[in-house]
Amino acid sequence: MTAATAPRFVRADGPDKVTGSGRYTADLTLTGMLAAKFRYAEIAHARIIRLDVSAARAMPGVFAVLTADDVPDVRFGPFVQDRTLFARDVVRYEGEVVAAVAAVNATVAQQAVDAIVVEYEPLPPITDLEAALAGDSLLVHEGWAAYGAGDPVVRDRNDASFSSITKGDVDAGFAEADHVVSSRYVADGCHAAPIEPRAVLAQWEGNKVTIWTSTQVPFDARAGVCETLEMPASRVRIIVPHLGGGFGGKCGFHYEAHIAALAKAAKRPVRLVFSRREEFFAPDRRREGMIIDVQTGVRSDGTITARKAWIAIDNGAYTTDAGFFSQLAAMHVSGPYKIPNVHIDSHLVYTNLQPSGSVRAPTAPQACWALESHTDEVAKAVGMDPVAFRKLNAVDTGDIGPSGQTYGEIGVQRCIDEATALVDYGQPLPDDEAIGVAIGWWPSFSVPSGAYLKIDGDGSAQIITGAQECGTGAVMTLRQLAADELGMNAEDFELVYQDTSVAPYDMGATGSQTLFNNGRAVVAAAGQVAEQLRSLAAEFLEAAPADIVLADGHAHVAGSPTSTVSIAELAGIAAGGELLIGHGSGAPPAAPALVGSSCVGDLGMAAFVAPQFSCHAVRVRLDRDTGVVRVMEVGTAHDSGTIINEMGALGQVEGGVMMGIGQALTEGAQYDAEGHQRNTGLLEYKLQTCADSPVIRTTFVQIVTPNAGPRGAKGLAEAPNVATAAAISNAIAKLVGQPVRQLPMTAERVWKAMQS
Amino acid sequence: MTFTIATTLEDALAAMAAGARPVAGGSDLVVAARHGKAALPASIVAIDRLGDLARVTGTDDGVRIGALATHATLMLHPLIVDSYPGLADACALVGSPATRNVGTLGGNVMNSSPAMDTGAPLLALGARVELRTVDSTRVVPLAELWTGPGRNVAATDELCTAILVPAPTAAGGTRSSSAYVRLEYRRAMEIAVVGAGASITLAADGTVESLAIALTAVAPTIISVTGLDAFVGKPLDAAALTAVGEIASEQSSPISDLRAGDSYRRHCVGVMARRAAEAAARRAAGEIIGIPVNRAFGIGAAR
Ligand SMILES: Cc1cc2nc3c(=O)[nH]c(=O)nc-3n(C[C@H](O)[C@H](O)[C@H](O)COP(=O)(O)OP(=O)(O)OC[C@H]3O[C@@H](n4cnc5c(N)ncnc54)[C@H](O)[C@@H]3O)c2cc1C
Repeated sequence: MTAATAPRFVRADGPDKVTGSGRYTADLTLTGMLAAKFRYAEIAHARIIRLDVSAARAMPGVFAVLTADDVPDVRFGPFVQDRTLFARDVVRYEGEVVAAVAAVNATVAQQAVDAIVVEYEPLPPITDLEAALAGDSLLVHEGWAAYGAGDPVVRDRNDASFSSITKGDVDAGFAEADHVVSSRYVADGCHAAPIEPRAVLAQWEGNKVTIWTSTQVPFDARAGVCETLEMPASRVRIIVPHLGGGFGGKCGFHYEAHIAALAKAAKRPVRLVFSRREEFFAPDRRREGMIIDVQTGVRSDGTITARKAWIAIDNGAYTTDAGFFSQLAAMHVSGPYKIPNVHIDSHLVYTNLQPSGSVRAPTAPQACWALESHTDEVAKAVGMDPVAFRKLNAVDTGDIGPSGQTYGEIGVQRCIDEATALVDYGQPLPDDEAIGVAIGWWPSFSVPSGAYLKIDGDGSAQIITGAQECGTGAVMTLRQLAADELGMNAEDFELVYQDTSVAPYDMGATGSQTLFNNGRAVVAAAGQVAEQLRSLAAEFLEAAPADIVLADGHAHVAGSPTSTVSIAELAGIAAGGELLIGHGSGAPPAAPALVGSSCVGDLGMAAFVAPQFSCHAVRVRLDRDTGVVRVMEVGTAHDSGTIINEMGALGQVEGGVMMGIGQALTEGAQYDAEGHQRNTGLLEYKLQTCADSPVIRTTFVQIVTPNAGPRGAKGLAEAPNVATAAAISNAIAKLVGQPVRQLPMTAERVWKAMQS
Repeated sequence: MTFTIATTLEDALAAMAAGARPVAGGSDLVVAARHGKAALPASIVAIDRLGDLARVTGTDDGVRIGALATHATLMLHPLIVDSYPGLADACALVGSPATRNVGTLGGNVMNSSPAMDTGAPLLALGARVELRTVDSTRVVPLAELWTGPGRNVAATDELCTAILVPAPTAAGGTRSSSAYVRLEYRRAMEIAVVGAGASITLAADGTVESLAIALTAVAPTIISVTGLDAFVGKPLDAAALTAVGEIASEQSSPISDLRAGDSYRRHCVGVMARRAAEAAARRAAGEIIGIPVNRAFGIGAAR
């Protein structure tokens, strides 16, 4: 199916969200419900000398005040177990939770929070990545040698995860080069900034707790509650009402256990609703700041001979899922290029800043921005057009990538052709305009996932899935897969989802994996029901099951058009006998082999399953008097395998581009010297608005990809966020005469670059 | 806390005499309270139902804009667009469609933020505000109204009922116009990093008869640029426009904050002043430059 003929359908949750009838977590109230508030450290690094909650506990209207002493002493974290629910002895970033209060309403809860006495011995805040890596730096985690950690994690002083990729012999590679180009790029941290600030509501019945929460990963949230409150999964139920956006910010386990513990202590339901400031500064989920030093050797004919890079990534105070960032960033600084000799060292550095965690395509926009800006510098050094330079060096079908992976059929070269054609690359432009081009890549995540599918006696169908909808529409698209399998319409399927006690496991709205993995599960579940329908129809129509075709809501006998029965009628028959129920999971695609490279600290990111490729070409205009850059037009081409729902796919690309423009130009977390974040509101943290959106045109380079998702689909949720900032950077560099080496490339930074 | 809804001007003035603060669109007052910038006043009187105060009326000597006229109304109002386009430029830049529909001119002026957008064009146009109490009415020039960030000379019981803008003179074949330009990093929901409003009258021969420029967000209040008399009697050519920008930069005393550093602000306010003067002069000369100027040339212009 080509994109043009792919069906377009409106998402099932759209009308509820648009009309306001949909319920979000903060909309829910329960009888006797209390309000939760946290006491935050509000200091980046300090030893707790005294913590006294007695005055807060004694206040009328206060039902519970909890500190580290009131919950099990458990350290947790997916890569390094460096985290506790409440601060113990030392606070390591300003948004760390020191105590939690449940009270009759938010005002009283806040008064109680203010009545908590905390005395600190301030410690020097560690905020500089290079200083933190120096041998004499103070440690963010003094005693972390004793923390638990996954086996491959290489930890050393403030280096929470070291990773390297080595292939060939870089020194020999540089010796062969005619030019060596060295660049340094620095990216500020930024935010997922979902429009819905998170909310959590917990209620106990007996020894079981139900938690309604705005999470992208309900099963992860459940695992976090089970681990920290020492409970079995069977006693914890996570329900996600409508989710008001996530962009990765709501991946991971955050505050569900705090609120469950408060509700237990208070013996009442307790609800937490974040303010915008809290949403910005407290969660352990921020897009990581980065320093990237990269050096490339190139022959005069434009072939790359070697690449060396050093990367430092701001981990913040705790290692959430950022453990794999060092390896992922190394992959993005290598890039989808044929480079015979590679050596990349990548460090994930503890600091006293907000912890970093997976925000849409973690590490990629910044690393791609640095690499692709550098690539234009390299092309310039050999006097080549940057697009021609990429065509020469980018990987293609059958090539071996920088980490030693051999690719099957891939579309990166075609993406370059398509994206540049969409914006008429090469056309003459006014002297305040330029087109920049960048390519990027992103892995698909192959993980287990499950779903059920049933058709009730009246013919109405339900998909019961562990998948989580975060706004991408991926869960909505599951209906289409089921419909095609069963010869029904997507609209015929009701979705039951976002409830861990109802559906089988799914990893959640993370890693662009919903359609990739849960799609497989739904197809398998639908296949079982299709089998049941075929055998029922065979009996009913007196034909062989193999001759039954499911289409248009009916079972037909192939070759005899009058011999037909509706699926609803078959469902009615089934209701009196063996019910129509399917379950599915399917085996996740295997990781490809790597040849000729070695990786220290390998966390599975050097081999990209079903790699996605993209090229973004962006025309920008520069106001030379002020440095203000405006994006006028964007052409994107994506190889994400087969496109199943074109409308949803375009939505992902357009959203990714807008997020990329924000990262490129206006979105950056600003800190003072003490490690306080200064722009924790939407006025000072500038997202792009509808009024800023350029014309965005997209071509999907569709390759039916083996060892991938359903029908040869790859992921698509994160890929569109990879190359936009890089392409904008290259356009700016053409206009300014040199790249702007810090992200975001704010008007002031562009203007300063023009002065130098 | 008390909250009353005034249905007549007399009610509103009486409530204010009894200590109530007026709320019009609430887009400054309520938002500031929600952000913890300033607590909600203990007593509030809503004035948004006083329909008479939303009128825009041409008068013998200019225009009388009721304090409750919204930005959305003003940016499209023929009288404003034709004769006071600098004010329309500013109104068209405020927030988003939602903000412009609730935010009022009276609220913008009386909130007295140094970053307010309508202040610079109004000051350059020589506007005055009408302030009323239960038993008095006075008219205060904008040049005397603002005393600091969020502060003005109005007494707590004085309600702004109208903003009065004098008509440009057309004697002897002179032509006048105005313009407002601001530095913006994005095209909606922005706050002025710096901005400039200009009002100009050109003599029949095209030379400057009068020029006034006011600046946004470079001092504790909106300020007027002084010393522009030097341009009178001369054409506003490229060299003159450059000089206008330099004077504006020199007279500003911007701060460094999250939005920009002081040197960048100082540079950009010169650019804005130059562009505002240029746009006003080109409009006065008869060229149609769409509203707002920000979308017509310079930053973010469509082509
Ligand atoms: C999202 C957003 C974006 C914004 N963008 C901009 C922008 O781009 N540019 C800009 O300049 N402003 C902006 N603002 C600020 C605000 O919208 C404007 O200043 C608006 O004009 C205020 O009008 P209001 O009627 O809402 O004022 P209110 O909030 O009702 O009142 C503001 C203050 O003025 C007083 N007041 C109101 N009316 C009177 C009166 N008639 N007499 C005496 N005192 C009075 C009130 O007591 C209060 O102190 C924005 C606000 C928001 C929320």
